[in-house]
Amino acid sequence: MAEICYENETMMIETTATVVKKATTTTRRRERSSSQAARRRRMEIRRFKFVSGEQEPVFVDGDLQRRRRRESTVAASTSTVFYETAKEVVVLCESLSSTVVALPDPEAYPKYGVASVCGRRREMEDAVAVHPFFSRHQTEYSSTGFHYCGVYDGHGCSHVAMKCRERLHELVREEFEADADWEKSMARSFTRMDMEVVALNADGAAKCRCELQRPDCDAVGSTAVVSVLTPEKIIVANCGDSRAVLCRNGKAIALSSDHKPDRPDELDRIQAAGGRVIYWDGPRVLGVLAMSRAIGDNYLKPYVISRPEVTVTDRANGDDFLILASDGLWDVVSNETACSVVRMCLRGKVNGQVSSSPEREMTGVGAGNVVVGGGDLPDKACEEASLLLTRLALARQSSDNVSVVVVDLRRDT
Amino acid sequence: MRSPVQLQHGSDATNGFHTLQPHDQTDGPIKRVCLTRGMHVPEHVAMHHTHDVGPDQCCSSVVQMIHAPPESVWALVRRFDNPKVYKNFIRQCRIVQGDGLHVGDLREVMVVSGLPAVSSTERLEILDEERHVISFSVVGGDHRLKNYRSVTTLHASDDEGTVVVESYIVDVPPGNTEEETLSFVDTIVRCNLQSLARSTNRQ
Repeated sequence: MAEICYENETMMIETTATVVKKATTTTRRRERSSSQAARRRRMEIRRFKFVSGEQEPVFVDGDLQRRRRRESTVAASTSTVFYETAKEVVVLCESLSSTVVALPDPEAYPKYGVASVCGRRREMEDAVAVHPFFSRHQTEYSSTGFHYCGVYDGHGCSHVAMKCRERLHELVREEFEADADWEKSMARSFTRMDMEVVALNADGAAKCRCELQRPDCDAVGSTAVVSVLTPEKIIVANCGDSRAVLCRNGKAIALSSDHKPDRPDELDRIQAAGGRVIYWDGPRVLGVLAMSRAIGDNYLKPYVISRPEVTVTDRANGDDFLILASDGLWDVVSNETACSVVRMCLRGKVNGQVSSSPEREMTGVGAGNVVVGGGDLPDKACEEASLLLTRLALARQSSDNVSVVVVDLRRDT
Repeated sequence: MRSPVQLQHGSDATNGFHTLQPHDQTDGPIKRVCLTRGMHVPEHVAMHHTHDVGPDQCCSSVVQMIHAPPESVWALVRRFDNPKVYKNFIRQCRIVQGDGLHVGDLREVMVVSGLPAVSSTERLEILDEERHVISFSVVGGDHRLKNYRSVTTLHASDDEGTVVVESYIVDVPPGNTEEETLSFVDTIVRCNLQSLARSTNRQ
């Protein structure tokens, strides 16, 4: 029975990862991911049959082929695809829950929404990861889950952000299970993530395979703002200039502090390390990079470090929601404005407006490659809130990629 | 472990720069700076890395040792049409005049995200296949490096490797100091030459 339980957990995690990956890749890369997703689903189907003992297969080959074709269609139908994928996950959950008691109550799933938009820049270099129940903790009263979400804003190329999306949550889980101290486990997992990224460069065979075909990865990096939600706490770890904002009793509370090179303590640290901050279209480390901490960017070490700043906040009844977003949003939208927009959505005041063909409306403001609904069981209101924030950023002439995660923290909903 | 990289700044007094023509009537002094002074380099290398520096300009050089024969390194460096084979920070490059093999040809370079530049239009100034010298100047684009000219030379080192010297001269942008400008450009050039070393050894 223990083996079966573990296998089910793995299946669910993989399913989640599969769904999340689709949401944050470009159209061409989505096709590649779809192929991987199809293979993964086949593997899952076999395991599913083993667990449930059913005689009939869950999906026939024809369904798989039709699904694959559907997944390669244009972005306009992406929501449909993801909703269908979410339905599959629901079906799996419902079937599994009848045979495995340890699975969580579907009602305990976190409510969240994800939106990413390329914006005026031609290439998408942001990545988003949401992993409900990425870490499971048994207490004497119940089985509870920790939920993970992260936003990674790449620069120089996309593959560091993509690698963070694939690996960082796994490293966080490993490090926390090894030592249940959030400050230390986050610092270690970010360091390991940075080392994995830098190792891409050392391995002669690992020439950059991204679209840009870079000669190597020394000058590629990413921000990482990560949040772990437990029943009692909100943990945020930040490296770079993306940001996490909590809305509590209607007020915006920053849970992270942007790592800009001219922040006084960051400026002191850089200078003490022998580097310098030069104002070159804004403050930049050596005149080059507009942030003082990042995953990767090996050529700027030791001035640009990957150590995160960690905050641990007790959850409270007045907690409304949490927003994680890249600086494409925060450069043009204040914390307070973002909170006001999301509150309106979560109260259902703007549903009619947002739900009227949002993808088509976005085209007019240069919003190519819109990806919405990334992740299983996305909450409609949170999804609309995150989408509205990206629209607002584009309307305010944000010139960057914009990626947003909104998590509903209200307990009585 | 990083390869050894040496820096020679044109602003150092130790370079012993001097006025080109003491009695010339031109506006402001023109200083002739030899950026390989003190190094044992072939005569043509020293000549190519000597720049006439005007007021509000600065120059510098970066030296990279590569454990590979000059011909292997040159195969990458000579690609005016495809600088991405070893240069970081380039998202896209296309020849917009000529074929990339002749002096006067132009390329349009698009820069990757995260840098304070968008594009650069560059003219091929020197392509010496025999002596392994390539030079380009920046004639346009969206960036702050006006009147930038770069020269890259390759010559054999004593231990069967290659010595790469890249020097440049550029205007100091308004609002920045000479030292800041050198720091910024040296960082970019150093990163590219280290990438060149890795790319060459990877072949």
